[in-house]
Amino acid sequence: MRSFFPALIFIAGLFLSCLTAEAYEFERNVVAKLSIGGYLQGKAIYAFDHNTPDEYPSSEIGLEMKASASPLLSAKLLLKVDQDGKVRDPGNDSIFNQFNLVYQDKNPYVDVNEAYFDIYTGKVDFRLGIQKFAWGRLDELTPTDNLNTADLTEGGTNEQAERKIGVPAVKMNYYSDLFNTELAWIPRYVPYRLPKVQERWFPGVLMLPPVIKTNTAFGDIPVATAYKDIDLPDFNLDHSEVGIRISKYIEGWDVSLSYFRGFDAMPLMNTPTDITVQLNDPIALAYELTANINIEPRLHMMNVFGFDFTTTISSFTVRGEYAYFNNKYYMRKFSSVLNELVTTHQRDQILSSFMRKYVDSEGTATTQAFHIDPEVELQKDSMKYGLGLDYIHGDSSISIQCIQEFIPHYDSSKPVYFNKDGIHTMITFLFKQFLLQNNLEINLGGAYDVEYQDIMLKPSIKYNFTNDLQGILGLLIIDSSHDDSMLGQFRDNDEVFVKLKYSF
Amino acid sequence: MKCPFIWKVAVIMAICCIFALPRQALAGMSAYDIVKKSEGLLDQAKDSKVEMTMTLVNKKGEKRERGLSAFMKKEGEKKSKSILFFNSPADVKGTSFLVWTDEKKQDRQWLYMPALQRTRQISASGKGESFMGTELTFFDMGSKDVNDYNFTLLKEENVNSEMCYVIKAIPKKVEFYNEIIIWIRKTNYIPIKVDFYDTKGKYLKQGLFMNVKNVQGINTPTHIEVYNEQNGRKTIIDLKNITYDSGLKDDIFTERFMTRGM
Repeated sequence: MRSFFPALIFIAGLFLSCLTAEAYEFERNVVAKLSIGGYLQGKAIYAFDHNTPDEYPSSEIGLEMKASASPLLSAKLLLKVDQDGKVRDPGNDSIFNQFNLVYQDKNPYVDVNEAYFDIYTGKVDFRLGIQKFAWGRLDELTPTDNLNTADLTEGGTNEQAERKIGVPAVKMNYYSDLFNTELAWIPRYVPYRLPKVQERWFPGVLMLPPVIKTNTAFGDIPVATAYKDIDLPDFNLDHSEVGIRISKYIEGWDVSLSYFRGFDAMPLMNTPTDITVQLNDPIALAYELTANINIEPRLHMMNVFGFDFTTTISSFTVRGEYAYFNNKYYMRKFSSVLNELVTTHQRDQILSSFMRKYVDSEGTATTQAFHIDPEVELQKDSMKYGLGLDYIHGDSSISIQCIQEFIPHYDSSKPVYFNKDGIHTMITFLFKQFLLQNNLEINLGGAYDVEYQDIMLKPSIKYNFTNDLQGILGLLIIDSSHDDSMLGQFRDNDEVFVKLKYSF
Repeated sequence: MKCPFIWKVAVIMAICCIFALPRQALAGMSAYDIVKKSEGLLDQAKDSKVEMTMTLVNKKGEKRERGLSAFMKKEGEKKSKSILFFNSPADVKGTSFLVWTDEKKQDRQWLYMPALQRTRQISASGKGESFMGTELTFFDMGSKDVNDYNFTLLKEENVNSEMCYVIKAIPKKVEFYNEIIIWIRKTNYIPIKVDFYDTKGKYLKQGLFMNVKNVQGINTPTHIEVYNEQNGRKTIIDLKNITYDSGLKDDIFTERFMTRGM
């Protein structure tokens, strides 16, 4: 049945595109307007490493409707219907992506990507509904762009526009001669999305080993890992998110100041653990231990103070951004947490507690459970900043960015993921060349992790077969010698991908 | 780049290609007089808006179409603002391009990409580069300093049953073209044909300005064809719904309007 879904969606899309051929537009006098457009896209990959999880061909329909009833009011709806080849063994019966889940676990699904009303007044515009914000000036790892969470079911290797999750929000823009102000209120946090553990793009850093080697009398401890979904905070004003951004154009410079109070857009996990001790032989004191580790998403309210700018100098566009994160939490490396847990002292504590209960139970409590809350989350204020440079020459363009995260009071005895000694530097680049009257586009995108010396390359060619039909052939290569770096956790996922997109 | 409001291609490109204003009189009217009169007639409006279709034709005859809407407003003699919206093909619909031009300063340009919902200031492209894959360069669409050229009024000639002045323009400093020949209609002073020769003196391309319509008293070519002899490609531009002097407000030429769209 699974193999029929892409075909069904493809046929449905064709039908839809016929109905809406040339983007159906209806105008009743000058002010009322309805337009419908969209796309139909198919995607397939070939994985170089056959031991990595498979990905079936995917197909997706995007349907965009825009309506305006008057110059003061308009609405937009962007729906995506996806038969996602990455999803394995879907367990969720709902057809719609839900705003309260990290693991959506459904296929096919409908995603309400955007659905909002715009109200335009003299100097103030309002936007109400599911929407996306675009703060900051950098293209990737944007420090001040924290209002929307990300769909990481493709490991963050896909386009930023595809990753951003629309959130139910209220936005107000006030335009004045002095400056422009944007206010955002997100009543309830919408979590990021992750693939399930058996899927191709599950983050390697969340994949725990099946056995913990203790080098103590406990021997090797088998580990059972469970991935719990997020427990959202109560729906009240204290847990809503707010942001303000003030922008101004000053003599060739676009500058902005911003403030955001809300939850982290990136995953943070805790690992409450239940250790089960079973006494197999009371005389020889032979124990058997098993560990049940729950990986649970956690949320902490943080404050982000930001600044960004863009200008052009000669033939270059220069973009910069800075953000200070107050009350930011990081996830410690699992190996470091284990070193604290699996100690002789910890062993003695568990055993003495076990023996006490065993004696109290007069020898009947031969199996006992102990709960441990390892210190996985680490609160550290930090800053993230970056500089980007763009150069356009005719049909070629190149864009380079350097983004660095710095944790001032870093404790090297408690290392966190993706950082080395409190610093993480990523250089991203994108080279584009248009040929054949812009019908052929050659891209070379990539990223270089300076601290880990990891590199990701994503070359691709895009060809417009007709005005509406385009094909993309690309390659994704990740070269890394680490399992726990931002890029290295996906180092086995090298692949060739092909996409065919029909827009209508 | 100056004045990248493409619909002005119809109006200005030919004028701009006329540049230098030699004051040598020939048969009554000098090249300067002809050019000045043509420019004055074409470039009267304080603001304008237009919808256009650009068809790019490769040497095999395969066509790609792009639909655009454009708005332009002058702010005195030295400044202007223009905004361009892409209406088709579907995958670029909603993209917009804003330009503020000030002859005393560097042009400022912004590009809005609807997929990212992000507006970015971008650097002005090189003047000799192609505009959006067309056979037109940014130079073709920009204003020129007339003092950089020498002109000669060559003769009068019949083109498509219309009598024309034939003017040769030679740049004092060769940058993009070695020579340009312009045919200007005697009846209405609207250019009908322009031949361009590259920096080596080799014939490069020809622009044709057809279907002249009287729009609010301004004669405006509404069908332009530019054929590049060297690569065999052609760009066809058709203009419709042209409106001059509708009193466009300043806030159209802002980031707010770019993101809000048409």
